[in-house]
Amino acid sequence: MSVSINIDKVVKRFGNETVINGLSLNIKPGELFTLLGPSGCGKTTLLRMIIGFNSIEDGKIEIDNKVVNDIPVNKRKMGMVFQNYAIFPHMSVADNIAFGLKVNNLSKAEINKRMEDIMKVVRIEAHKSKKPDKLSGGQQQRVALARALVIHPKVLLMDEPLSNLDAKLRIEMRNAIKAIQQQVGITTVYVTHDQEEALAISDRIAVMNGGVIQQIGKPEDIYSRPSNLFVAQFIGTSNVIKGKIETDESGGVFVRLNENYKEKMDNLSEIKKGQEVIVAVRPQEFILVEDESSIKGVIESTMFLGLNTHYFVKLDTGEKVEVIQDAEANEIMPEGTRVHLKLKSKKINLFDSATEESLIKAGG
Amino acid sequence: MKQKKSLFNLWNASSLIILGLTILFILYPLFLILNKGMFDPETGRFTLQNFYHFFDRKFYWITLRNSFEVTIVSTALAVIIGIPMAYMLRRVKIFGSKFVQILIIVSYISPPFIGAYAWIQLLGRSGVVTKFINDTFNMNFDGIYGFTGIVLVLTLQSFPLVFIYIMGALKNLDSSLIEAAESLGYSNFQRMIKIVIPLILPTIFASSLLVFMRVIADFGTPMLIGEGYRTMPVLIYQQFLSEVGGDAGFAAAIATLFIFVTISLFLLQRILSRQYSYSMSALRPMAVQQSKGIKNILSHLVVYFVTFLAILPQMVVIFTSFLETRGGQVYTGNFSLQNYQNILFNRDLSMITNTYKMGLYAIVIIVILGIFISYLTVRKRNMINSILDTFSMFPFVIPGSVLGIALVFAFSDSPLFLTGTVTIMVVAFVIRRMPYTIRSSTAIIGQIHPSIEEASISLGASEAKTFYKVVVPMMMPGVLAGAIMSWITILGELSASIILYASNTQTLSVSIYTEVIRGNFGNASAYSAILTVTSILSLLIFFKLTGKKEISL
Ligand SMILES: Nc1ncnc2c1ncn2[C@@H]1O[C@H](COP(=O)(O)OP(=O)(O)OP(=O)(O)O)[C@@H](O)[C@H]1O
Ligand SMILES: [Mg+2]
Repeated sequence: MSVSINIDKVVKRFGNETVINGLSLNIKPGELFTLLGPSGCGKTTLLRMIIGFNSIEDGKIEIDNKVVNDIPVNKRKMGMVFQNYAIFPHMSVADNIAFGLKVNNLSKAEINKRMEDIMKVVRIEAHKSKKPDKLSGGQQQRVALARALVIHPKVLLMDEPLSNLDAKLRIEMRNAIKAIQQQVGITTVYVTHDQEEALAISDRIAVMNGGVIQQIGKPEDIYSRPSNLFVAQFIGTSNVIKGKIETDESGGVFVRLNENYKEKMDNLSEIKKGQEVIVAVRPQEFILVEDESSIKGVIESTMFLGLNTHYFVKLDTGEKVEVIQDAEANEIMPEGTRVHLKLKSKKINLFDSATEESLIKAGG
Repeated sequence: MKQKKSLFNLWNASSLIILGLTILFILYPLFLILNKGMFDPETGRFTLQNFYHFFDRKFYWITLRNSFEVTIVSTALAVIIGIPMAYMLRRVKIFGSKFVQILIIVSYISPPFIGAYAWIQLLGRSGVVTKFINDTFNMNFDGIYGFTGIVLVLTLQSFPLVFIYIMGALKNLDSSLIEAAESLGYSNFQRMIKIVIPLILPTIFASSLLVFMRVIADFGTPMLIGEGYRTMPVLIYQQFLSEVGGDAGFAAAIATLFIFVTISLFLLQRILSRQYSYSMSALRPMAVQQSKGIKNILSHLVVYFVTFLAILPQMVVIFTSFLETRGGQVYTGNFSLQNYQNILFNRDLSMITNTYKMGLYAIVIIVILGIFISYLTVRKRNMINSILDTFSMFPFVIPGSVLGIALVFAFSDSPLFLTGTVTIMVVAFVIRRMPYTIRSSTAIIGQIHPSIEEASISLGASEAKTFYKVVVPMMMPGVLAGAIMSWITILGELSASIILYASNTQTLSVSIYTEVIRGNFGNASAYSAILTVTSILSLLIFFKLTGKKEISL
């Protein structure tokens, strides 16, 4: 009974400013789909177009292949969880949750049954007669979630629902949200600008920037194979160094980092010889070596985090990179140590210098 | 989409209705004032004749100067008393400070002319204190009429407003600001000058301008205690109702002049308050400390003394209402219920019932309109609603006597003949006292996050249902806080009522006024006591219901 959401070339204008210009997106039934992007990129705007608080200037949005553009919000049957929860302060927890059931004229028995079910799911029964101001942040979050879910909406929309919570509670609640979402099996659109949260919670993620979708994919794909430099840098940490494509007589393709050091690449799509590239390297994709054929630099500072150690290295080219070494490896190297680094060629990502688009073959 | 459109029309319809009412009952009457004041009724030509007339004779223009004199002096004194009072109550542990604050609020909410009347009882020509002084010291003190009397009454009436405002500002002053200055080596006095005063300066400005407006427009006090010392509102009233025919055009011209003065002040206040305002909210408000020795004693003495003076009129009124009089005029020195018997059984009760009846009509209209106006102006911003927003503050600017005359001009002819009706009284009450409710309702909507409404709509409620199920209940605390002020000040409304009332719409405050003028102090006291007790009870019920200990101004 879960529904799909098809967003087809939608346009949003505020006055003369076009915030979203022809964006398309397909969300599958029952999945937890995240809109991720920096502040101001239009995530909230898109979410509010789906629920209907924002008008749609062009294009269409379909729920289960039915266009909803002109259906008023209160008839769309979408549940929304707001950033500030928007819990009605003058009503008790139970009244808050029952609100949507009452306006929809359900029978008393049905209301009671649904209330009991949902309060069990979000684990808030113990507090049902409290006023909202007596609840903790996490409990308010649960009430907001219950209130949205209890009307059995077709779609659940959440706009940065965790940003008002402290770090620890944020992790607890995101696990709870994920669990509840799976239990209810409802198609969910989740908005956040926190990439770690997005990776942890989502079935799929759409990375947005400036109103445009940069990449859609599973969390692990987006992390390991970002489709452009923006995604590489927005998701996780990526060190960026310059390189150049080389080929040899036998058809082997290499990326050259300096005159002594090149890496063989097996997974590149179309490339030109001599092409300038940007090499994006995650901190754990460096290998410390003794070898002279490598990238060289000096450790500027170190950060010991228990599980591993972070080194901030200034390369001889002037570029600065972050390198992670597992703690068990060696002793911590002091600042000022000269280091030699190689790259894990299967893991690193290459982008065209001009277009900043990925040069990695699909599935590579 | 269809449904959305029709709701949109619902909001627009209410905007239009309210705009229509505003034009009919505020703008049109005011326009008539300007028109009558500046155009010759015969030729219909523009003329400044009336203004020449005003500035030509000292008898007239002196009232403008008098108005400014009493207003400036009373405002200054109110600030000088209000600030230290607030500071002491925030800083020093005063025994019974909650009670003190309630007494000050009570003194603030009772109408100024009751203060004037009470002080006449004490320090008037035949006042108790006057007699005592004259007998004891063999003097010939003639009572505090004129300038001194007005200033005394209006200062004591107004300092509570400054006090309440400054109390609020000091509450929002984080004590870490003061501690920061202290840690940087500033002395106690320096901290006061460099940190506290600058931060509350906007509040001082704002409250003194409000006091200024109130005092300059006050009619009852100068009328009762001013004797020969006449101010603008008194002149307007007298010109309008003067026994020798009255000159409506001239009265209108003076009213026009007066509106100019008040509008300039209002604009000045707007500009200043925009320029000098900080948004402060204290995590750790200033703490009350137990003082020792002379400072402690002095603080208590000052606070108690000022509070005593402020609340004295109410006590005098209630006390004298139980004194027996001969012929209503001279106290015999015995206690009795004679005065109450007079006003309750020996004559028409209608003054009392009128007051409550018309007051209730007015407050119901005020609450409904207030909710709509504040919602529309905050949430449904468009041109009409911006216009409404501006006009809704008009009544702060128009003195009651001017409004009274304007309504008479507008509604004493067909097709809308309303003079002498309940309707015109209620209209005057609504116009004059609505701003309290609008202000406090507007403030509370500002605190309701729009996503609350969106949540309700997303759950399937229509916009109208969201409005009365979610928005209105959430607004209620703010609406009520404003409505209590509207209600109490309706009870004491005099300056418009005195012009608009007819025998069947006479109110308590008009009765008090007329009884005082006739010298029937016994009846006046009993009426005043009823009014005062009603106000205090209303306030206490409000405090009880809302659990608040403050009122919103
Ligand atoms: N009602 C509005 N009127 C005009 N411009 C708007 C409006 N709402 C949003 N915008 C603009 O649209 C752009 C996208 O805003 P949006 O709120 O969707 O960002 P966001 O991705 O949700 O950011 P954040 O992570 O900060 O919440 C911004 O440039 C914003 O200024
Ligand atoms: Mg947002």
